[in-house]
Amino acid sequence: MVVALCAFTALTCWPAIGGVEIDLAGLVRNWSNGADKIAQLLRPDLTFLPRTVAPMLETLAMAVAGAAFAAIISIPLTLAAARPSNPNPLTRQLVRFCINVNRAVPDLVFATVLVAMVGVGTLPGFLTLFLFDLGVVVKLVSEAVDSADHPYLEAGTAAGGTQAQINRATVLPQSWPLFANQWLYSLELNVRISAILGIVGAGGIGRLLDERRGFFAYDDVSVIILEILVVVVVIEVISNALRRRLR
Amino acid sequence: MSRREVAQRHGEVAPGPDEPVPSPGAVEQTTVTSTPASTPALPPKPSRVTATLAAVATGAVVLAATAGLNISWTELGDVPGRVVEYLLLMFADPNWEKLPRALFETWRSISMAWLGAIGCVVVSIPLGMLAASGMGPAWLRVGLRAIFAVIRAVPEVIIALVLLTVTGLTPFTGALALGIAGIGTQSKWVYEAVESAPTGATEAVRAAGGSTAEIARWAIWPAVAPVLMSFALYRCEINIRTSAVLGLVGAGGIGSMLSNYTNYREWDTVGMLLIVVVVITMVFDLISGSIRRRIMEGARVRDVDRTR
Repeated sequence: MVVALCAFTALTCWPAIGGVEIDLAGLVRNWSNGADKIAQLLRPDLTFLPRTVAPMLETLAMAVAGAAFAAIISIPLTLAAARPSNPNPLTRQLVRFCINVNRAVPDLVFATVLVAMVGVGTLPGFLTLFLFDLGVVVKLVSEAVDSADHPYLEAGTAAGGTQAQINRATVLPQSWPLFANQWLYSLELNVRISAILGIVGAGGIGRLLDERRGFFAYDDVSVIILEILVVVVVIEVISNALRRRLR
Repeated sequence: MSRREVAQRHGEVAPGPDEPVPSPGAVEQTTVTSTPASTPALPPKPSRVTATLAAVATGAVVLAATAGLNISWTELGDVPGRVVEYLLLMFADPNWEKLPRALFETWRSISMAWLGAIGCVVVSIPLGMLAASGMGPAWLRVGLRAIFAVIRAVPEVIIALVLLTVTGLTPFTGALALGIAGIGTQSKWVYEAVESAPTGATEAVRAAGGSTAEIARWAIWPAVAPVLMSFALYRCEINIRTSAVLGLVGAGGIGSMLSNYTNYREWDTVGMLLIVVVVITMVFDLISGSIRRRIMEGARVRDVDRTR
């Protein structure tokens, strides 16, 4: 076991087959470059702050709208992807497969391709977040529904309800906390991701960040990073508080 | 479905960032109390004012966000057509000639992910243990947790952009960025695992006169090692995804190749690369997921399945 792990690690460090060339000497040699950058980043130019407000609001709007639309669509898809609510193996596996493929595409890759498809702006950002959230919510909630106990469901079947009636009357009510939990989580992730989506042209604060970095205006970049930090932490605190209420 | 239920669903469909979500019990409550109020034995209906206000506020936030998006909604009708057109361009006839190059770059991405995960895990296990309550001194604990929170909030791409100036546009930068960016979350998992470990062994070692280091080695480590190994594999899974993202900013690997061919508008190659990314990610998740289950749940027990 240990030998196999060591061999695998060794292979990953072999540049000839694509491995990473570990360049510790370069790290020491160019240390001052990074230290300079960090020193510049530590001197934020707060007069830049007003210009970041509009893009930040755009970022938040993308995050909220993406999470909200994904939340609505996630309900039928989750029911279709969980065994208790969809006994038909064919459609269940089909939905699961689509969700797994969707989840395997990294967020920024979605954004890059979508920017090329539908043009620069908030639309590709919104679509990226929507698809990403759909993957997260459907996967996690349908697995939770799968592993939960379903005595009510059996009662519904015994009472002769159709699958739609059973889903409506038993599966959904006991899944709302799971849903709400994941919706909040996806909103949290969205704020994080949407901040960098702009780097590939998908609108929001990331575009401003990329632009200021292009001008080597590191004092402005540092203001933007600080702002992202504050917003992410605030959203996280709010979302954690709401989620504690859910339990 | 009654109007009240519609409103309630509306509230639960879209929880906004700054108002309480209606409690899940509300659904059952409505059905219980919806019998006619003429029978005096029933308790009064619970107030629905808060839930309604929350639902309205959530709806308002979502509407405002959607309106603020600056999307020309009239053009939205064209989007599915355009997407289908590009999907055909990408997947109707993927260009498999560049596959060897793609696999080379994939190995580079996997290497970045693996080395980044090792670096991250090696650093975060001791740091996370020090940050667990009962292990390090309080000032160190608070300081470390603040550092983890800051690292968690900084996107990997930004860490990579700073590192680029030190190590240049190399995969090594990617591995370093992955290693540093992961420390925040990984350490949090470590201290949460340590804190939720059973305390019996810790007390026993302390009663036998063990120091904090000895407690960590002989009580904590045996208890949490399987969980930590599982987290390490999970970190690797996350890194596989993130390494493709880092490639987009120039750290090399499959992401760089994807970004380049998207810019050249060579859609058949982009389609092939997307297939490679998806397949590799899914296979890696499958392997890592089964190892994690093996670590956490042990070998499969031969037993009658009573669940169905």
